[in-house]
Amino acid sequence: MKRALTLLSFGAILAFASTQLLASGNAENGKKKAGTCFACHGTDGNAVDPQYPRLAGQYDEYIQQALHEYKDGRRNNAIMKGMDATLSDQDIEDIAAYFSSLPTKLDTLQGHVEGDK
Amino acid sequence: MAQARVGSMKAECCSGHDATSILSRLHDRDSAAIVRMISMTRLQLLGMAAATALFATAGVHAEGDKAAGKKLIYTCAGCHGVPGYSNAYPQYPVPKIAGQNEQYIINALHGYQSGDRTHPTMGAQAQSLSDTDIQNVAAYLSSLAQ
Repeated sequence: MKRALTLLSFGAILAFASTQLLASGNAENGKKKAGTCFACHGTDGNAVDPQYPRLAGQYDEYIQQALHEYKDGRRNNAIMKGMDATLSDQDIEDIAAYFSSLPTKLDTLQGHVEGDK
Repeated sequence: MAQARVGSMKAECCSGHDATSILSRLHDRDSAAIVRMISMTRLQLLGMAAATALFATAGVHAEGDKAAGKKLIYTCAGCHGVPGYSNAYPQYPVPKIAGQNEQYIINALHGYQSGDRTHPTMGAQAQSLSDTDIQNVAAYLSSLAQ
């Protein structure tokens, strides 16, 4: 019984942790917070310089994940680490919500593989 | 000091004086300064030529083969070809990469190879790609921008 409860609570913590990551922010607030991003990623989220990624229409949670990874060093990138340092979890959610809401040039690979068509 | 003298010689030259008469008045120090100036310009020119050559090669290097890239992305499509497909844990959707910028894809794949990006699956995938493979994949993916 005790063990079952412990297991259950672990499950609950895991579930809570993953739902937290999946939470969606406020795109309007994100637009205001994304000012510094525009210089490299473009005001429309479609970076002109090919060394920077297009963010417009990218998955919300993927952008959040990437921002967390740059912030904690799982992705080692000097520029993004500096940009991320001051962002709170809420800021990250809002900024990701904003960029993912923009008209996109991106797509999955569905239909783009040799032999697909 | 010597350079100032050279400067005044130049001014005399331009004002129509006989060049040989000026040359005959040159001190050793002055000629040395002139030689230094000329060799510096030559060095700068060489540097510029080298930089241009480097840039040109880099440009050629980044030119990937789209058709070859299209064959290579067969493996990528297992995850990146399924709309909304998620990693198991931590749970987040694998990114849309069709239409992504070319140099960013090259940098990202090299990042997974070197460990600057930590992701077990992508690390293993990137290890199997050569530099040319990566350029080809990036050339094809970036060409898919809608």
